[in-house]
Amino acid sequence: MKLLRTWVFYISLLTGAHSVSGQEVAVADSLQTVVLDSLDIKQKTPISLRFGADLYRIIRSRASDDYQGFEAVADLRIRENLFLAAEVGNEEITKQFEQVNFTTKGTYYKVGFDLNMYDNWEGMDNHVILGLRLASSSHSQFLNSYTLLDRAPFWQDPETEITSGFASGERLNLNAYWLEIIIGFKVQLLNNIYLGLSLRLNRLISDTVPDNFDNIHIPGFNKKTEENKFGASFNYTLTYRIPFQFKK
Amino acid sequence: MNTLKNKLLFAFVCFGIFAGCEKDDICLSTVVGTPDLVILLLDKDTGTRQSPSGFSIRPIGTEKELVRSTGDSLALPLQITEAITQFEFILNGGSENENIDTLQINYQRQDQFINGACGFRANFVLDQTPVFILNSGDNWIKGAVILKDTISDETAAHLGILH
Repeated sequence: MKLLRTWVFYISLLTGAHSVSGQEVAVADSLQTVVLDSLDIKQKTPISLRFGADLYRIIRSRASDDYQGFEAVADLRIRENLFLAAEVGNEEITKQFEQVNFTTKGTYYKVGFDLNMYDNWEGMDNHVILGLRLASSSHSQFLNSYTLLDRAPFWQDPETEITSGFASGERLNLNAYWLEIIIGFKVQLLNNIYLGLSLRLNRLISDTVPDNFDNIHIPGFNKKTEENKFGASFNYTLTYRIPFQFKK
Repeated sequence: MNTLKNKLLFAFVCFGIFAGCEKDDICLSTVVGTPDLVILLLDKDTGTRQSPSGFSIRPIGTEKELVRSTGDSLALPLQITEAITQFEFILNGGSENENIDTLQINYQRQDQFINGACGFRANFVLDQTPVFILNSGDNWIKGAVILKDTISDETAAHLGILH
């Protein structure tokens, strides 16, 4: 029941702009009750800020010549089990995808909520997270080289690489928007230090398709497949919670 | 707690399915690749399709032979690394009054993106003057007309050769 009410609140937040305000008050009231019910001792919800970085992207940047990326993450606790969360990242990746070699460069932003579904024992602060993000990227695609599809090659080796000409070059000012559904963990390593892993199922909403090419890779979204709007990504974060906690 | 575990397990399984079931990145064999130039042999007076006797085509610069080198409608492969391709148009091949005209096809290549798995195919745009007849003198080919200046498929003829 507790979980249900929390979900109602969570969904009402997402659709809040369109709902009747009276309902919101009612839901908020019921949540208030829930929060109070679940907190026998603490009457007030601590607000705390936590920030950090994705370790996977740092390691991958060091390990691979074809990848440079960084992602900063932060979340703000606004209820006992509810967090405002955001990620900001920058990526440059060179990929050989089938017959096409390209470089994608760009920045992405993700904002949304994390819901902690884990019932901690007194003094513990671990998380099992369900989350939702709205994400956007602004990026460019540079087509480095490709080979031509030729069903009956006559003059040349079909593996001949085309590196310049009509189709080559950079496509600037591209955008993409998508939603992410997140499941993940955060484990409290030390008092204010957390290690987190999150898996993200991405659903593309829209993207600017580059001229005579495609967004095969989108920063933050990863691989986009043709006629399939789903993608997947993950991060592996180390975060630090600012010890100072506001009292609401 | 048990139900929570089940929900999580379900969520992970869903994630696995969605992440694992991306469409295979295989270029389907039905996708059309780089097209050939399709020519028609037309009678210079009437404009009707007509294959002259003893006619064949030989590409210049290779030992290879065309898959089909006779008839009144032919597909000629164009060079991708050059903006020209040359062919010998042979009349009455093998006989005493053999007449060979050397034709140069002029074009620009404009590669067209298909999709991630297939990559690109070459399209060609014929120049304003699509054909040079390189040999002087007794030409049996009188000229050429553009039927369709963009070569992006092989469903219709692109160039008419007048004789």
